[in-house]
Amino acid sequence: MSAATASIAWAQTPAAPGDPEKGRQKVAMCQGCHGIPGWRTAYPEVYQVPKIAGQHPAYIVSALKDYKSGARTHPSMSAIAASLSDADMANLAAYYAQSGLASKP
Amino acid sequence: MTKIRIVASIGVVLLATASAGAVAADMENAKKKVTEVCQACHGMDGNSPVAENPKLAGQHPDYLAKALRDYKSGARKNPVMGAMASTLTTKDIADLAAYFGSQPAVLISRY
Repeated sequence: MSAATASIAWAQTPAAPGDPEKGRQKVAMCQGCHGIPGWRTAYPEVYQVPKIAGQHPAYIVSALKDYKSGARTHPSMSAIAASLSDADMANLAAYYAQSGLASKP
Repeated sequence: MTKIRIVASIGVVLLATASAGAVAADMENAKKKVTEVCQACHGMDGNSPVAENPKLAGQHPDYLAKALRDYKSGARKNPVMGAMASTLTTKDIADLAAYFGSQPAVLISRY
């Protein structure tokens, strides 16, 4: 499968470009879990909270939309995503996308 | 004393071997699956070239395994990943999670 085909297969709604500075202002709700290296989810399913800094912004938006729509569920993430507008999601995605390691090691 | 120490050392070595064996992933199996199944969308090393597809390189293996289990069970819905994960065994999932988690990454945990 070519990259273009894969892109078409996955694309649902094109993500609007976000504003990383506005995203930074909303990040307080995220950092308690995603800001702490190795932080784990609560019982019964315990695993390390995913690293999201450096992730593709379009994927972060699609993950948040899936939590909001119920296509994907998690107690904390479903509640948080429900409170976010499309613009909030784009802004947070832009903030996290630019805050990973600068380049591939 | 010496005998006790030797016995204790053997015990430690056995324990270390046993726990290493329990978590050791089959990287050859992982590479085979990545080539066949994952690579087209996520890249061979998990640093996905396509913006819609998440980077997996350096992600926590237990999170990656949970994602694959949820795609396989249908708890997490995505047409492409549901189909891909349905072909994977429990061992494949553990191997792939370890493989992608060990790849060089730009992903980090950060405020």
